[in-house]
Amino acid sequence: MRVEAKQGWLASRVPGFTCVRDMLCESRSPGAPWLATLPTLLAAMLVLLLASGVVLAPFYDPRHAYAALQTIMRDVPGGWLVLSYHQIGASLAFALLYLHLFRILLVRGYRAPAEFGWMLWVKLLVVLLLAGWMGFVLNGGVGGHSSLFNAVNAAMLLPGIPGAVAMWVFGGASGGATLARLLVFHALLALCAAWIILMAFAADKKARPVLQGPGVPFWPIYAAQYFAALSVLALVFAVLLGFVPHWGQGTQNTIPAATAVIPAAISYPWYLTPAAGLAGAFPGVAGHICAMILAAALLYALPWLDRSRGARHGRVYMALTWLLGVDVLMLGLVTAFPMGGVLPKLLGLWFYFHFLVLTPLVTMMEAA
Amino acid sequence: MMRRFFASLLAGGLLAGVGAHAQDTLAPLRFQSDGVFGSIDLAAAQRGFAVYQGVCASCHGMKALHYRDLEALGLTPEQVAGIAAGVKLADGHAATPNSRFKQPPLVSRGGAVPPDLSSIVAQRSGGTHYIYDFLTGFGPAPAGVTLLTGHSYNGAFPGGQVAMPAVLHDNAVAYADGTKATTAQEAADVAEFLTWSADPNLSTRHAVGVRAVIFFAFLVIVAVLTKRRIWRERG
Ligand code: HEC
Repeated sequence: MRVEAKQGWLASRVPGFTCVRDMLCESRSPGAPWLATLPTLLAAMLVLLLASGVVLAPFYDPRHAYAALQTIMRDVPGGWLVLSYHQIGASLAFALLYLHLFRILLVRGYRAPAEFGWMLWVKLLVVLLLAGWMGFVLNGGVGGHSSLFNAVNAAMLLPGIPGAVAMWVFGGASGGATLARLLVFHALLALCAAWIILMAFAADKKARPVLQGPGVPFWPIYAAQYFAALSVLALVFAVLLGFVPHWGQGTQNTIPAATAVIPAAISYPWYLTPAAGLAGAFPGVAGHICAMILAAALLYALPWLDRSRGARHGRVYMALTWLLGVDVLMLGLVTAFPMGGVLPKLLGLWFYFHFLVLTPLVTMMEAA
Repeated sequence: MMRRFFASLLAGGLLAGVGAHAQDTLAPLRFQSDGVFGSIDLAAAQRGFAVYQGVCASCHGMKALHYRDLEALGLTPEQVAGIAAGVKLADGHAATPNSRFKQPPLVSRGGAVPPDLSSIVAQRSGGTHYIYDFLTGFGPAPAGVTLLTGHSYNGAFPGGQVAMPAVLHDNAVAYADGTKATTAQEAADVAEFLTWSADPNLSTRHAVGVRAVIFFAFLVIVAVLTKRRIWRERG
């Protein structure tokens, strides 16, 4: 069978095959920037996370989480390497997703008809944050343990259906049985993430403007660009893997939870710090929960909060978007290195102020 | 050509390593495991195990280790079997190479329980150097400091008062390789041993890391040049 015949055979039997093939082979408009490869790099990291996660999961024991990780690191042949793949994969996946989201904000890549794709990227962020937090808890360290303890206590306060759902997830007071449940949800969310990113790719493709002129083929033009971008990612990965495998993780979570020392402040992995900072912007357990939901909802609603009609930002809103990036970065930093005072609260509140007030106001004024 | 280049690179690295080894590593303090190219100093780690076994093991456990793991420090299986045979476990039997390190009876001193030392270097910021500073940081309390009962003064410990007594002193152990067992030497050796135990793959990780970084750095250069060329010719 010739290649085309084979493809025809598959295409007429496997739904979605042509879609994937077109995504790879279709002509594209020339001159896409390097940063347009971010989603593909993120997909590569998700594949790595899934693969390493599948290898690790059978060795994991939720009832002796800390000891299980020690066994993986010390006694399972190659275990330390696969565990590092998983940890560094998570770090880089978040780095790529944050970069990609910020880039969409800057180039207004969320405006119609791309708003559906944008909403999928936001969903991916929510899912990865949940999965990342569970991974942090599954380590069996002190930090994860107290974070879980707080989450379960908060869940017990929830009334009605949200409370019932939270109880279904956690199953009651935190302990080894809770980790067994979280392991299931961690894996489930990972599969959701894979599904969401596929959908996001498809949605972004649909939203791309119709090609003017002949365009350029994927092979070899874009293949060369993607290959180069992937090798840069691999280089960064190798540096982290070889020399700073625990970068951004802190020392707290390396202490086993069983020692029952309650830390004064939980130190989160770097990629959870902005979210933790945002949650802290509103007081009380209910405040934390509402803050998280509000933050996701605001990102989700951005295509409608932005009232301008042009293809680009006005100058003021562009500056504000950069400011938001700095704000989130600083928020992560002050959460990682707690300093007290009002600055953390202010940085958190700025995020909400930016989307709720500044975005509609400034874009409306600049559109006029 | 390429192989020649790598061979000379490697030889240079080895020479630098040997040169560093011959220096006095206690003043100024320097561990072979320090830095991105560091590797575990196996001789020091073996001596460090002797210090752990002779001095620390009566209070501190190392749950994550088996006696067989010591083979990674260059001990022969016979030596390891000998070490294990010399340990009497709580059930009265002698340990075997597959036994985990013996757990000391849990006693709290001055309200503090001696922590497990398996991963202590990863658990304290400052790592190896902190452990050394801690072990050599005992001394008389400065004027005006009243010690809590069962506590000793230690300048490196946060708060200055620690429930562990000063246990290292000159000749606290006799080294099999003839190294002079000063307090500082013992502290440095046990710190290197604890560095190994917290990250048994440190040497491999660094060696793999260097190779991977060199490989991917070349790949990045080649890939970026290829991309530019293709885009110039066809884009
Ligand atoms: C007499 C029992 C005893 C012996 C022997 C002993 N320790 Fe300790 N050690 C303790 C106790 C108790 C603590 C907890 C101190 C505290 O938290 O105040 C401790 C704490 C430590 C700590 C943690 C310090 C920190 O930053 O929290 C280290 C590291 C340590 N010991 C290393 C060693 C080493 C290495 C040896 C052998 C050279 C050793 N210890 C011998 C009782 C002992």
